[in-house]
Parts: sequence; structure tokens; C-alpha cells
Amino acid sequence: MTTAGLEQVWRRCAPDVLAALVRGYGDFDAAEDAVQEALLAAARQWPVDGLPDNPRGWLIRVASRRLIDQWRSEQARAGREQVVAQRVAADALVAPAADATNDGARDDSLTLLFLCCHPALTRPSQVALTLRAVAGLSTGQIARAFLVPETTMAQRISRAKSRLRQVGARFSPPAAAELPDRLVVVAHALYLVFTEGHTSTTGTALYDVVLADEAIRLTRQLYERLPRSGEVAGLLALMLLTDARRAARSRPDGSLVPLAEQDRTMWDRTRIREGITLVERALPTGPVGPFQLQAAIAAVHAEAGRAEDTDWTQIETLYRMLRDLGPNPVVTLNHAVAVAMVDGPNAGLAILDPLLLDRQMGRHHRLHAVRGHLLEMDGRVEDARSAYAIAARLATSIPEQRYLNTKSAPRQLVRPAAVPVPEDQLS
Amino acid sequence: MKYVILIHANPDPWGHPTSIYTPEGRALPQEQHEEMDRQFEALLTEISAAGELVTAEALADPASATLYAWSADGALATEGPYAEAKEHLAGFFLIDCASRERAEEIAAQFAGPGSAVELRPAMWPGGDDQ
Repeated sequence: MTTAGLEQVWRRCAPDVLAALVRGYGDFDAAEDAVQEALLAAARQWPVDGLPDNPRGWLIRVASRRLIDQWRSEQARAGREQVVAQRVAADALVAPAADATNDGARDDSLTLLFLCCHPALTRPSQVALTLRAVAGLSTGQIARAFLVPETTMAQRISRAKSRLRQVGARFSPPAAAELPDRLVVVAHALYLVFTEGHTSTTGTALYDVVLADEAIRLTRQLYERLPRSGEVAGLLALMLLTDARRAARSRPDGSLVPLAEQDRTMWDRTRIREGITLVERALPTGPVGPFQLQAAIAAVHAEAGRAEDTDWTQIETLYRMLRDLGPNPVVTLNHAVAVAMVDGPNAGLAILDPLLLDRQMGRHHRLHAVRGHLLEMDGRVEDARSAYAIAARLATSIPEQRYLNTKSAPRQLVRPAAVPVPEDQLS
Repeated sequence: MKYVILIHANPDPWGHPTSIYTPEGRALPQEQHEEMDRQFEALLTEISAAGELVTAEALADPASATLYAWSADGALATEGPYAEAKEHLAGFFLIDCASRERAEEIAAQFAGPGSAVELRPAMWPGGDDQ
């Protein structure tokens, strides 16, 4: 088995192993550290010794030993004479659920996901803890994906765990009444994993991961457990439909390709089919939430063979529904584009005007980028150019800034407008 | 989201913390300095425990700087600070936090007597297909 294959095995075991330890010993914080050490031990030993017969049992034994060693040394430091509370033998943890696919194990990873995405934690902490405890990534891998030093990420994780202890969070599934609200928090954290992680382009570190793939894997697991939650289905669909465009989204030099200019033959048809099926199944079943609507919008785009075939009337309706669920300036921006495509650029610009007065939105590059596009559609070349220039100045993404700088350069505006479709980033 | 907090000041003599070497800082009573130090320590402890502080450096006297100007014959080095700058970069903090609001909340607490604090978003290499 390749090292990458081995890594898949230990990472997939991680939530079960952690759950077994927490059930056996009760201490989430210490158990999580011990599992992390066991995973690192696996990374050292498995490539040399080969895959153990029972990988999950191997990890539980190693992690239990670490946990008990840690308690012993803490008690020695405290100078207490107490016998180490070895309530459960490691083998007892291994025995009952050696079959990692049973329902108990899967419920455990769900419980773990709810715990890691506890509402008392900040979103970056939820993301970091989920990636370590549920996805089985090392602190170093998570740090690289978010472009921060490992020590910073380690602090974030340890703060998250001490916060969980402070609020008395328990390793048990949320009560039925709390479930919908808790699910919203989990969904947002997973969406952030999907959008915020960066694929390393410089280093080729052995274990670097694509966080978008991790987010899809975790959301798929969540969907398998809660297939009747329309928003979980919507979230998975949104990720699949967005990720389907990954190959078409940037040129080899890293520059961005707007949706309207993408080579649609490069879109991943398998992901699109799966995403569309999920949305179509979810939409009629119950309360429609923001992820389902965003997925539906992505599906309408995916269904258009060419940019000019896009069903903008349908997209406009969906954005209006999204706006009615909860007004949000980013949704308004996207709605303005759809309105412009249906009723002409001036109708879209009229929607944008109030946003210019909002302090936060006025400094948001996307508002000015969208204004630029609508002005360009209306043939107001000079105004469009100045809007693009403002947008470029405010952008903090290097490829996006480069794109906007090109749009604000005089010669770019000679050719007909390619209509951009801003991705909504609800967060 | 990453932000740098840039501290511009003109302590005389050059020294850290700059607040005890600026004229505005010197005018304050000792107790107030102690209180500000306590608050600042608490802030640093908080943001480093939270995993929001990425790194920080206090910078040496601008007189120790070397400036390089590009020329067709190669880089031209000159000694000393930018003559035209009234206030110099005295130090920086790199933070990584959940939102612009949080960054503003942190940066505001860096304001000290005789220094100007600048919060700047860092550029990032990713982007979406708008």
C-alpha cells in the first residue's frame, strides 16, 4: 500500500478511535491529543512496518497507552500517590466495535462533528478542531492549508479544547430540539473548510491535502447520517457543483477565469450530475434553506451548455428567495446581477446604489466589481473603468486583483462585456 | 483573514516600548504607563492563546537601516532611514482572525501615546471565479 493509501486508512479511523477513547476515559481534550500522537506514530511506523491487521485497534492501543502515560506523568508531577485511574483496558475499547462501519461508529463521528462545531467556539476554531479530530489531519497539515505557522494553529486547537471544557460541552449528540440550530453551525464550518483552505502551490509536502476534498468527504458523511436534512443535501450539492468547475476556474498561470468565460467542457460532469440530483431531491421536501437555494443557482448555471443559454429568470427568482430568507448585502449583489440580466443593467444598478452608502459594503471590492460590470453592460465605459479601479484597490485576493486591474485598463473595454457571475459567499 | 498591525512612531531616543520614549508618552504619569502595560500584556496573552497572533517583531532604530534603490547597473545601497519620513515603522504584528471586525477590535487596542497604528489586510493567493 502506498503512503498516501496508508494515510487514508489512519485518517478514516481517527474519529472512531477518538470516540472510543472519549467513551472509555471521558477526557476529550487529553484523548484528542493522544489520538493525534497515535496518528503521528502511524505515519512513522506504517510505511516501514506495513498496515497492521487491525488498524483501528492498533491506533486505539497506541493512543490509550499515550493517554495513560500522560496521566501517570501528570500525577507524578503533582506528587500524588493515587493509582492511575485506568478505568478501561485498551483492549476492551478495541473489542466491541472492530467493525468500523457499524452504526455506533458512524454516530460517534457525527457526535464528534457536533462537538467540534460547538456554538461556543469561534468559526476558525471550529474549523481547526474539526479538521484535526474528525478529518484526522495533523496540526502541520492544517497550518499549511491556512498559511499560518504550526504553533499558531496548535494554539487555536488547544484554546478550542479548553473552551469546550469551560462551557462543559459533552460528548453526546445534541438534543432533538437543538439539532436544527446546531446543524446550521456545522454546515457553516464545513462550508468554510471548503472555501477558505488553500492548496499549497509552492511546497510539495508529502501529506498536504486539498481542503475542498476534505470538506466534501465530511459533508458526504454528514449527509449519509442525515439524508433527510434538506440543508445538508443542499450544502453537499453546492460543494459538488462549485467544485465541478475547479479545473476551469484558473489558467495555468494562476489567473482567474470568470464563470462566463470558462471552458464548460472542463467541468466535472459526474460531480454536476450528483449535485443536481441532490438539489432536485431536496428542494420539494421541506423548508428551503440558503444552502439549497445556492445549490439550485449553481445547478442552473451547470445546466447551461453555453453562458448565453443561462436561465437568468430562474436565477433571479432564486436570489429573490435567498434575499427573503435573510437580507444580506452579498446576496443583494448577486441578485443585482441577475436582475440586470433579466431587466437590463440600470435595473441592477438601482439595486446596488443603497449599498454604496453602507460603510462595510462600500469598502468591499465585490460591490465595485459588480458595478463595473453593470456599467460596462450599459456601455458606460469610463464609469465602468473607474469602478473596476476602485474594486482592484480594495481586493485582497492576488489573482482577483490582477483580474480587476486588467478590466480597469482602457483596452480591455473595447470588446463586448463578458458577464460575470459573482459566487455568493454566505458566511 | 490575515492583517498586519503596523506601529508608526518616532521615539527619541529610539526604544521599545515606544510609548516611554515619545514626548506624548513621557508626559503621562508612571501609574498610567503601568496600567497600559498590564492591558497590553493581557491583550497579547489573549490573542496568542487564541491562535490569532501569528508573529510580531519590534524593529531597530531606522538609523540602522540600509536602503536599496534599483538602478540599471544593479542595486544601489545607502545608509540610514528615509529622510522624508516623520514617523518610522517601529514594529509590526501579524494576526489571523475571523473577521475584519475582530481585526479592528484588536488593532484599536494597539494605539499608544505618540504612535500611529495602521491596520492593513494581507493579500492572499486564492480567489474564486466570481
